[in-house]
Amino acid sequence: MTTPIGKTPPSNDVGNPAPRSRGYFAEVWRQFRRRKLSLAALGFVLTLTAVALFSPAIVGTKPIVCKYQGRLYFPAMGYFYDKWENPVFMRDKFRRIYPKNLASKDPKSWAVWPLVYQDPYRRVRENEWEGRPANPSGDQGVPSQFNLFGTNQSGVDVFAQMVHGTRVALLVGVFSTGISALIGITIGSLAGYFRGWVDVVLSRLTEVVMSVPALVLILALISIFEKTSIWHVMAVLGATGWTGIARLTRGEFLRLREMEFVIGAQAMGAGWMRIIFSHVLPNALAPVLVPVSFGIASAILVESALSFLGFGSPPPNPSWGAVLNNGRSNLQMWWLVVFPGTAIFLTVLAYNLIGEGLQEATDPRLRNNEK
Amino acid sequence: MLNYLIRRVLIGSVTLLAITAIIYALIRQMPGSPITLQLSEADPSKSISEEDFQRMRAMYGLDKPVHIAYFDWLGSLLQGDLGRSISRKQPVTKLIGERLGPTLLLSVPSLLLTYLLAVPIGLFSVARSHRPEERCLSTLLYMLYSLPTYVAALLLLVLFAKKLQGTSFELPLFGMTGDEYANLTPWRKLLDIGQHMILPVTCYTYSALAFMARFIKSNMEEVIRQDYIRTARAKGVSNFGVIVVHAFRNTLIPFVTELGLTLPGLLSGSVILEQIFTWPGIGRLFFEAIGERDYPTIMGLTLMFSLMTLVFQLLADILYAFVDPRVTYH
Repeated sequence: MTTPIGKTPPSNDVGNPAPRSRGYFAEVWRQFRRRKLSLAALGFVLTLTAVALFSPAIVGTKPIVCKYQGRLYFPAMGYFYDKWENPVFMRDKFRRIYPKNLASKDPKSWAVWPLVYQDPYRRVRENEWEGRPANPSGDQGVPSQFNLFGTNQSGVDVFAQMVHGTRVALLVGVFSTGISALIGITIGSLAGYFRGWVDVVLSRLTEVVMSVPALVLILALISIFEKTSIWHVMAVLGATGWTGIARLTRGEFLRLREMEFVIGAQAMGAGWMRIIFSHVLPNALAPVLVPVSFGIASAILVESALSFLGFGSPPPNPSWGAVLNNGRSNLQMWWLVVFPGTAIFLTVLAYNLIGEGLQEATDPRLRNNEK
Repeated sequence: MLNYLIRRVLIGSVTLLAITAIIYALIRQMPGSPITLQLSEADPSKSISEEDFQRMRAMYGLDKPVHIAYFDWLGSLLQGDLGRSISRKQPVTKLIGERLGPTLLLSVPSLLLTYLLAVPIGLFSVARSHRPEERCLSTLLYMLYSLPTYVAALLLLVLFAKKLQGTSFELPLFGMTGDEYANLTPWRKLLDIGQHMILPVTCYTYSALAFMARFIKSNMEEVIRQDYIRTARAKGVSNFGVIVVHAFRNTLIPFVTELGLTLPGLLSGSVILEQIFTWPGIGRLFFEAIGERDYPTIMGLTLMFSLMTLVFQLLADILYAFVDPRVTYH
């Protein structure tokens, strides 16, 4: 076949254009997926997240859904936030005991109950639930079929506290590290991008925060609040944990700002905000995820340590560290130490493994070492 | 070199000023004052007259605004005076001196143990890289690394309180000395303290050990790929010789830096571990001082912690230049 002069030859690869090269994050994910252990750790964290999200449906004394006087209610939502439990139950004097009251106050009512009838805040009494004995108190609460992980000195079920404590643990990990990441990335990218005196000031600030032992700073900050809530703890952990992230981000920015694409963007007249956030930051983000993952592990650790020392969120709030603290005063009750201790250990281990996997996936030097 | 030193010391003092100022401002913001807390502890019903309260406030300098009080503190510090503890009626330096011994009693043996064990373990896992025994060891170390010390401490306590009490493995759980301590012979006293040290030192050591062994291994893995290692192997040096003589000596540089970062911890101890084992050390003093709002003690300890961190960082950097001839400071 000949092609007349002046016409372009028919292209024969119309149907299959060159495969699009993988994006940076897709590549990181592909590398991450290779490490089975990190993948398993990710699975564990996702499972924990599910437990946290569905905690009122797993264990609680409030029905997930119930029909009462012709209307549908979701009292279990009260475990997330007090106000989400409909005041109608307060008005009708349920006193938080649902099973008997529902049947006696409205014979036509029905309810879907959590898998396990136990409460993280109070001791379950005798026959609240047909055939269930009262929770043992004192040091009698050995794990049994009614109290899977035993009960503490005041008779509150440990399994219920642990399932509901998952919410606190994960929330603290994610939120406080989110705050750290926000502060760290902002300070690191400004210092790395502008250099000069901005860098001097910000780096010095980072050094000041780094030179105070973490627990000293945290205890000093926490003691300021008259009444500590879990949000205070998160804010304090966030405000003290950003130094590693800031240093790493600064390093990445120092390296990246010399690249051609930054000069290109500058030549096209992009402002510094735009260059930092939409050009440089996306390229620096993956390595920064590594300290973030380790940061979540350490935030969970420090939060339990604080509850353990009695500095965390106030006692009625279920938290793994608080259960551990109960165990400290009576060492014969091994279940108060073994179960929360294992939970903290596994969660920290999982986040460390994820961090490690990310490190290997984002650092080409380590990747080549695999050979 | 001298220039560099002067610059570093100047920068360090500015950092120290900033730290103490921040902490001072923070602790003065805490609700409650040392005077009111002390009184309510002694007798909740007893209330102090307004006049007495003002007099005591003036005595401890609490009536002044924060920034002036801070400069007062700084002024007496420059004269070598850390002030007197409000809740314990003793000079802060004396208090710290009393608590330093017990803390060092835990941290020094644990540091020695850590290094004594970590170096062989690290070298072993490099020599046996990717073999089953190395995999087992590394996994174990990684698990230990992720095990929080307070969880480990509590698990040990439960084990010894529940299972081993009454057997020949019985160990004292809390405190530094037994009840009979005062009546013991010097040799027995030593033994008594030694027994009390076992559990806390174990907890101090295992976490540091896991970290150090991994640190040594990862440094070694980087060095072992260098050309000079291959040359040494090609010339017929034994595996042991290559790892100990050629490779390990070249990982000493990051080792030195790491040592500089660990040493401040020798003095600061661990708040949580000392609290669990009711060990009368520095960490516990800090925890108690925060609870008592004992400003002078908190400040003295903060100053000590941060000074240690900065000094050892500087020392590590200087040592760096000695270990690595490529590094010079101007």
